[in-house]
Amino acid sequence: MNWAGAVFGASAAVALIGALGAVGLKNIFHNILSFALAMLGVAGVFLSLGSDFLAVVFALVYVGAVAIAMVYAVMLSDPLDEPRRPRSRSKVLGAAAFAAVGALAIWLVVYRAHWLSPGGPRRVSAAEIGVRFLQDYVLAFELISVLLLVAMIGAVTIARRVRPPGGRG
Amino acid sequence: MTALAAYLGFSVLLFGIGLYGLLQRRSLIAMLIALELMLAAVAVNVVVLTTYAGRDPGAGQVMALVLVGVAAAETALGLSLFVAIHRAQATIDVETVSELKG
Repeated sequence: MNWAGAVFGASAAVALIGALGAVGLKNIFHNILSFALAMLGVAGVFLSLGSDFLAVVFALVYVGAVAIAMVYAVMLSDPLDEPRRPRSRSKVLGAAAFAAVGALAIWLVVYRAHWLSPGGPRRVSAAEIGVRFLQDYVLAFELISVLLLVAMIGAVTIARRVRPPGGRG
Repeated sequence: MTALAAYLGFSVLLFGIGLYGLLQRRSLIAMLIALELMLAAVAVNVVVLTTYAGRDPGAGQVMALVLVGVAAAETALGLSLFVAIHRAQATIDVETVSELKG
């Protein structure tokens, strides 16, 4: 087994364990911590693919920003000591069955497709990604910038506490 | 089992776990977490397929980075909506927040 295979195996195991914790645990705070673990695992998977810039971006954005934002949202909205109502067993089983059938269908489609394979993975450097973003994909780059700006302003506007007109802010 | 099949299998498993969480959880934040897992699975899939089975791996990385940006925007908007909903209705349980249901 080569290095990439070993890194992929370890990272995939971490990511799947984290994902199971992120959907399976009862405490929402534990969910968020498991989600951060899963995203670290996904970053490791990208590392094993040779896309190190993407791995760093995943670790920074998901573990550093998204998980922290979720913790803030939990502090602002979801009381952790709220009483848990029991969930009906049929709904859980139905969700599990639907997810299993969906994943199986995707797997069958993916597995039966005949992918072109012009050789093994090729490493893409961060410099190449930067050049691509500013030449071929400059429209996508600008669009994502505007989208992020609009989302940030929209988030501030939506979450702002609405005060009665004339009141002192 | 080839390396490509292993990567695709990992991606499908991650997507399935996310789908289960999205259907089964009741807290809106937990559903958002499951959605993020599914988006990460999609990003892994794009990068793996362009790396192993495409002619242009750089394009796949650009696509995955755009996906990360969209996911970040979606998270910011979603979380602010949850805070606003909690302020209006004092809960973010999807079975209770059903004011717009017909």
